[in-house]
Amino acid sequence: MTDRASFLAGIRSTPRGVDPGLLDRQSAPDAPTQLRGGEDRSDRLQAEAEAASTVVHRVGASDVETTVVGILIGAGAQKIALTTDLEPFAGAVRAAAVTAGLDVGTYGEIAPDRAQTGALDATVTGCLAAVAATGSIVTSAAGAGRAGALIAPTHVCVVRDDQIVGGLHELFDGDVLAGAGSLFALQSGPSRSADIEKVLILGVHGPGNVHLVIVAPH
Amino acid sequence: MAVQLFPTCLGDVVAQQTVVDAERVLDALGIRHRRPIGATCCGQPAFNSGHDAPARAVAKATLKALDDGSDEPILVPSGSCTSMIRLHWRELFHGTPEAEAATRITRRVRELSSYLAEHTEALSALNPSLAVRVGYHDSCHMLRELRIKEAPRDVLRTIAGLELVELEASERCCGFGGTFSGRYPDVSVAMADAKIDDMEVARIDVLVSSDPGCLLQLAGRMSRQGTPVRAVHLATLVAEALA
Amino acid sequence: MSATRDDVGGTPLPPGWAKPAHQPDAFELTTTTFEERSAKTMARPFARAAIANATDHAAALTTAKFVGTDHDALRDQARQIRAHAIAKLPDYLDQWIDQAEENGTIVHYAADESEARRIVAQICTDEGIQRVVKSKSMASEEVSLNSALEAVGVDIYETDLGEFVVQAMGDRPGHVIAPILHRTKDEVHELFSTMAGHELPNEAEALTAFARQGLRHAFLTADAGISGGNFLIAETGEVLLVTNEGNGRLTTALPDTHIALVGIEKLVPRRSDLAVLLPLLTGHGTGQQITTYVTVASGPRREAEADGPKRMHVVLLDAGRSALLGGEFEEALHCIRCGACQNVCPVYRQVGGHAYGWVYGGPIGAVLTPLFRGQAEASELAQATTLCGACDDVCPVKIPLHDLLLGLRRRTDQDGFVPRGERLAFALWGQIWSRPLLYRASTAVARGSLRTLAHDGVVSAKAPMLRRWTAGRDLVVERLQR
Repeated sequence: MTDRASFLAGIRSTPRGVDPGLLDRQSAPDAPTQLRGGEDRSDRLQAEAEAASTVVHRVGASDVETTVVGILIGAGAQKIALTTDLEPFAGAVRAAAVTAGLDVGTYGEIAPDRAQTGALDATVTGCLAAVAATGSIVTSAAGAGRAGALIAPTHVCVVRDDQIVGGLHELFDGDVLAGAGSLFALQSGPSRSADIEKVLILGVHGPGNVHLVIVAPH
Repeated sequence: MAVQLFPTCLGDVVAQQTVVDAERVLDALGIRHRRPIGATCCGQPAFNSGHDAPARAVAKATLKALDDGSDEPILVPSGSCTSMIRLHWRELFHGTPEAEAATRITRRVRELSSYLAEHTEALSALNPSLAVRVGYHDSCHMLRELRIKEAPRDVLRTIAGLELVELEASERCCGFGGTFSGRYPDVSVAMADAKIDDMEVARIDVLVSSDPGCLLQLAGRMSRQGTPVRAVHLATLVAEALA
Repeated sequence: MSATRDDVGGTPLPPGWAKPAHQPDAFELTTTTFEERSAKTMARPFARAAIANATDHAAALTTAKFVGTDHDALRDQARQIRAHAIAKLPDYLDQWIDQAEENGTIVHYAADESEARRIVAQICTDEGIQRVVKSKSMASEEVSLNSALEAVGVDIYETDLGEFVVQAMGDRPGHVIAPILHRTKDEVHELFSTMAGHELPNEAEALTAFARQGLRHAFLTADAGISGGNFLIAETGEVLLVTNEGNGRLTTALPDTHIALVGIEKLVPRRSDLAVLLPLLTGHGTGQQITTYVTVASGPRREAEADGPKRMHVVLLDAGRSALLGGEFEEALHCIRCGACQNVCPVYRQVGGHAYGWVYGGPIGAVLTPLFRGQAEASELAQATTLCGACDDVCPVKIPLHDLLLGLRRRTDQDGFVPRGERLAFALWGQIWSRPLLYRASTAVARGSLRTLAHDGVVSAKAPMLRRWTAGRDLVVERLQR
C-alpha cells in the first residue's frame, strides 16, 4: 500500500506549473450568490427560498409556536422530532405541539433507533445561519444532527432575523461556522431530481415539504 | 488606397466565384486590389490536425508571397484563414527565421467583412438592394477567435429590401471542422442538419456566411436534401445587391 | 449499529433489489471506435432529441443565471484559485491531510485505480461492511469501484436516482450531471415495474417515489456510505459534496462508516474560495442559484452529536493526475466537473456521452481520457471535435480546451499514433502546396476533376476520393461567372 510519504514524494517531484498566487479576498466580483447593494436580507432570503419551492412564513417571536404547529398539522404530520438548535423556541414549540395532540420527541434521543428515525413525519430545527442570496439555511452536526433536517418528509426551520447573512462570502469569511461540529450543510428548499426525462420531482431522498419560519427582530 | 485579396485554397478550388464577387465589391467601392502572386494556403488544414511541419512549409510559401514590403491590407474572404494567420502564424513560426515576417503579416491581414464594415457609408451610397430574407451563420473561428460578430451584419444592413433574421442557432458549429467532415461524416452531417432545421424554422431564403468551408458543408447538405435555401458568401450577396 | 434489515421506515427491499445489476466490466473505449459508439446513439431518435433538448436547456439556464453579474471576473478568479491550488498541490495536500487527521479522518493513498479498489474493498472487509449506499462519484466510475466491492460480497446501492437506474440497467452514465439523459421514462417504468414485481404508474412522480421508498430502506440499513467529493478544503481538512436529491447528505449521515474517494486535483486552499467556485459549479452545471444540498464534512461524528458516522475514511486518488503537473496539459486538472462543456458542445449534442467510451464525455472527456488512459486506447478522441471553441467560452474556470485538444492532436502525431497513411498524405500535401507552381497545377487539376464529376455545379456521385464527403452531402462547386 502506498503511504503518505511516497504518495506525496511522487507528486512533489513533478515539475511546477505557473502559480498565479493566492486569490486576494478583497476584490469580490458581483456573483449571483451575493446580496445586491441596498437589498434587505430577509426579503432576499424569502424571494430566493420561495424560488426554490420553500414555503416562507414571517412572524414575530411570540407567534413562532402557533405557526410551526399550524404547518405540522397542515402537513398531516403526527410523529415529530425537535433538534437542539431550535432554542430558544424549543420549549414553546414542544408545548404547543403536544397540546395539539402531536407525538413530539427529541432528535438526539431518537437518532440511535433507525426504526423510529425512519418513521418521523416531520422535524423542526433551528440553524446556524441562513444565506439570503441563495435562499439557504445552514445546519450543523452539532445543532441539528447530520440527518435532523433531512430525514423526514416535512422539515420546518426556524431562523431569527439576526442569523441571516447576505451571501456566500459572508458565510465563509465570517465565524458563523464556528461550532458546527463535524459537518455543516447548506439546504435550499425541498430535495429534487429531474433525472427522469427532465421532469422536476420534489422530495426525492430529502424532504419534499420545506418550510422556513423567519422570526422578525423585536 | 490599394489592398491585396488572398483567395485561399478553398477560394482557388471550389469558391472561385466568392473571390470574384469580392473583387466586384471592391471595384464598386473604388478600391484598387490585386491578388498576391505565389500565395498558396495558410496551412490550417495540417495545423488543425496537429501536423505542424507540413503546415509550416505551406504557410511559409504564402508568408513569402504576402511579405512584399508593402503596408497594404491583405483582405481574406474566410474567417478561418484569417484567424489562422492572425492568431496562429506567430506560434507556427516561433523560433524560425520567419518569425518577424509573420508578425508583420499578422498586422496587415483583415477578414473581409470586418474591412467592408468600415465602408458601410460608401456601400450605402451605392444603393445596394435585394429583396430577400437572410439568416447569417457565424463561423466558429470568426466568432470565437477573431471575435467578429457585428461586422457582417452591419454590411448586410446596408442592403435595401434585405430582411436580416437572427437565427437561433447562428453561433452553433456547422459540423465542417476541416478533416472532421471526412473522419466522422455521419456526425458532421447530423450537425449540419441541426443548422438546417434552425434555418427552416426561421423561413429564410438565403443563408450568408463569411467562411467558404462552412458554406461547402451547409450548401452541400442542403443540395443533397433539396432544402430550398441558398447558401452564399457575404461577398456574393453584396455583389448581387450592387449589380 | 444498524437496525435489523426489515423493520425500518421505507419499503423493505423487494427481491429484485437484493442483487443490483453488475457494472459492465470493460469500458467500450477499448473495444469500439468513436464512430461505432456515435452511431449507436444516433440511431436512437429519443436519445438524440433528449440530449439536444436537455443540453440546450441547461446552456440557456447557465447564460441566464449570470446576466447582470460580473461573470468574466468571477471566472478569472475561479481560474486563479484552481491554477494556484494545482501549482501548489503538494503543499495543500499536506495541509489538508494534517487537518483531516486532526479531525479524526483516516486518510488513504491510492496511486492508481487498482490500489483504490483494493483499499476500499479492504475497508469493507475489515469493518464487516455488507451493505453500502453510494452517492454519485465520477472518480468511483474511473476505478470501477462497484465491481471491486461486489467481488468481496458487498451489496451496493447507487442512490442518485439516475445512477440507480444506470446501475440496475447495467448501463453507464451518459452525462456528468444528468446520468440518464439518454433514457426514456418508459424504460425506467419497465425497469422499476420489474423490480417491484407489479406494474407501476408510468409517471415520473410515481417512479421516483418507488425509488425513494426502496433507497430509503437502504439508507437506514446500510453499514457504510460511499461518496466522491466535489472539493477538498485544505485549510480545514474538509470534504465538500453537492447534490440536489439529498443522497449525499444521507450517505454521510446515517451509516456508521463514511468512505470518500476523491481525486487529488479537487483541492482548494480555503473555505472562502467556495464563495467563487460554488456559484460557478451550480450555475454552469444546472443553472441553479445553488444546489439544494451542499455538505461539508470534516471528520467522523464528535461527542454529543446526535448522529453521524463513527469512522470517516478519505481515499485520495492519483490515477494519472500527478503525471499532468507542470506539463502542457496541466490545466485539464482545473476541471470542477460542472458539465457545461458537454452542454454547449455541438458534437456531444449529436452523439451523447457514451460515444467517448470512458467516464467523461464532451470536450473534457476528449481531453482527460487520453491523458488518464493513454494514447494507445484513446488517441482517437482528440479527433472527435471540430475545434469550434464553444467549450472555451463556457468553462467556468477558463480551461483552454481548444488548445488542449489541438495539443493532443500534435501529441498523437509525435507519439506515433497517427496512421501512416495520414502522415504521408500531409507530408505530400506539404511538398506540393509549399511550391506555388505545383500548387497552381494541383488546384487546376482539382478544379478540372470536379468539373468533370459535377452535374449542374454539383458533385453527388460517390467518387472514390470523395466518398466520405458525398455519402451524405453534395459537393457544390461555385460556377464562375466573371
